[in-house]
Amino acid sequence: MKTVWMVLLYLCIFSLSIYLYSVQSNGPADELHQRLLPVDIKTVKAGMSKAELQEIVTEAKKNEDILSIAGMQHSQGGQTVYPNGIMIDMKPYNQILEVDLQAKTVTVQSGATWADIQEAINPHGLSLKVSQSQNIFTVGGSLSVNAHGLDIRNGGLSDTVSSMRFMNADGKILQLSPTENRELFAAVIGGYGLFGIILDVTLQLTDDELYEIETNSMSYSDYPSYFKQQVKDDPEAAMHLARISISPETFMEEMYTITYKSAQDQKQLADYQKLKTENLIAVPKFFLGLSRINDAGKNSFWETQKIYTEKIDGNLVSRNNAMRSDSEFMEYDNSRKTEILQEYFVPIGQFEEYIPALKAVLEAHPDFNLLNVTIRYVEQNDNAVLSYAKEDMFSLVLLINQGTDAESVEKTQEVVREMIDATLAHDGSYYLPYFGYPTKKQMEKAYPRTGEFFELKDRFDPDHRFMNLFYEEYRP
Amino acid sequence: MNYKRFIYYQGTIGMASSMIFPFYILLIRNVGDSYAQFGWAYGLFALTAALCFPLIGKYADRVGDKTLLFIYSWGMAILLLFFPLASEVWHVYILQVLMGVLGAVQKNSEKTVLARYVTKEIAGTQIGNYHVWTSVAAAIAVIATGYLVDFLTIASIFYIASLVFAWSGLQLWKLETAKA
Repeated sequence: MKTVWMVLLYLCIFSLSIYLYSVQSNGPADELHQRLLPVDIKTVKAGMSKAELQEIVTEAKKNEDILSIAGMQHSQGGQTVYPNGIMIDMKPYNQILEVDLQAKTVTVQSGATWADIQEAINPHGLSLKVSQSQNIFTVGGSLSVNAHGLDIRNGGLSDTVSSMRFMNADGKILQLSPTENRELFAAVIGGYGLFGIILDVTLQLTDDELYEIETNSMSYSDYPSYFKQQVKDDPEAAMHLARISISPETFMEEMYTITYKSAQDQKQLADYQKLKTENLIAVPKFFLGLSRINDAGKNSFWETQKIYTEKIDGNLVSRNNAMRSDSEFMEYDNSRKTEILQEYFVPIGQFEEYIPALKAVLEAHPDFNLLNVTIRYVEQNDNAVLSYAKEDMFSLVLLINQGTDAESVEKTQEVVREMIDATLAHDGSYYLPYFGYPTKKQMEKAYPRTGEFFELKDRFDPDHRFMNLFYEEYRP
Repeated sequence: MNYKRFIYYQGTIGMASSMIFPFYILLIRNVGDSYAQFGWAYGLFALTAALCFPLIGKYADRVGDKTLLFIYSWGMAILLLFFPLASEVWHVYILQVLMGVLGAVQKNSEKTVLARYVTKEIAGTQIGNYHVWTSVAAAIAVIATGYLVDFLTIASIFYIASLVFAWSGLQLWKLETAKA
């Protein structure tokens, strides 16, 4: 009898500990999320209120200090840091200011994360129109990198911004929107924090909805027509993603797709509305770990992903839950290696020719450790000066494991530049928040308005109060 | 206590504790960063152990080794559940103090059991033999855990080690009740 009590007590503490741990680890991480760019920072100042932020900016102006702006710091090209600068940590500036049920909008301070917003709007049966696939990022950060997500109907993130308030280098507060201060708005969206501080943002919302997951697998050559007919032209389809194989056996051939379609019976929505939290990261983390080691590991990672995907076919999920994807399993701690991301955009019509070209580059570099490729859809969008979606495109996100020593960095750089050349040759572009492997020429080709962007920077912030390593690297 | 059982038991808890000890440093590194803090964390551990030994020694003769090992197993099983939650240096200090107490219990009991069991004339062989198996278990655990941390989170190591301790505690219990 005593044994039973002891075991029960132990199990209670055990589950309590796991629960508390999972709550705790959902919080933000403080350190920079890649270790390729060690930079000395003078201080980190946390902005808690508008007045404090204003003071930081005016103080910096007086002392001729340089400011950089940081949210979750998952960008990998030094967009949030500047040597000997003052980093403004926006994470504490994270209040949800207003949920307007009538107008279906939410106004938040820019340090709020997408998860914070979801928690505020989910009880009202509302949902974001567009958010990043992972919900750990801050709103200000996502706007500054002009992020996109899974949604295929509501355009880019910038399309869902009704307006925002913005503090420039003089500490002056301006109202920005697609109609007010348009030029600055287009520079700040995807502006990598070079123009000033995004204070609060009003985002458009839509109704939460119940989706049925539809999964499929196919060859890459069938994918564009599948996407067009079964996804884009199906009014029930709302969100979509796909993966292409990194397993040696089916490398860059086999794909599987996941589409979220409006469910027949919306009455069941209430049963699925509770926001899920990240559980059971050990399983995907384990397979991702295997995948890092060798080809057999990559095979089993891909096969497991496929089996899992087949299994979720027909599952029901609320829109809000579909927009909270797991990311914790990707956390990786190794002193000699790190994991980087790349993202390439290619017009839908070019996809079929592009994949073999990308495959050829990757096969020429067998040591290049590619772990995952996710494919999503981005609609043509020119809200931002630095817009990557020149037409309707597929985006490919590549997760890559690389060493941090000089030789490995150089090797990775070679492959990345070749991949970008292949992408540009297919009228594509690449995503800017990642490590500075691409050349200036590649940036100018991918972003024809690069020159204009840097001119705007000089015009709106002539003293260069706001700076980061991205600017230093890519200024023409 | 059956001697073979004892080696088995020590092997099990040896596995569990060598699972956490080297990797525990990773946790401290995440929590605090200075060498001085490191020194304090381990110093506190040794100091509390020192303070506890006289008391534990006395108790060992009164309540018996098994009871003390029992306290150790379950104490560690529960204590380890708090490790993943540590986020400040002072959390680590408190955990180190408690680990110091339990460590002293284990160290003392290990020796008293051996002292009560071994035959003086062949003590060398017997203790040597004892160390072979416990060390083998520890070595396997340490190597395997290295891979585990790569795959899982550092927190899961503590949970797994905690389960092993709980299991060792159950084994002890069974032993006791079977006899009674």
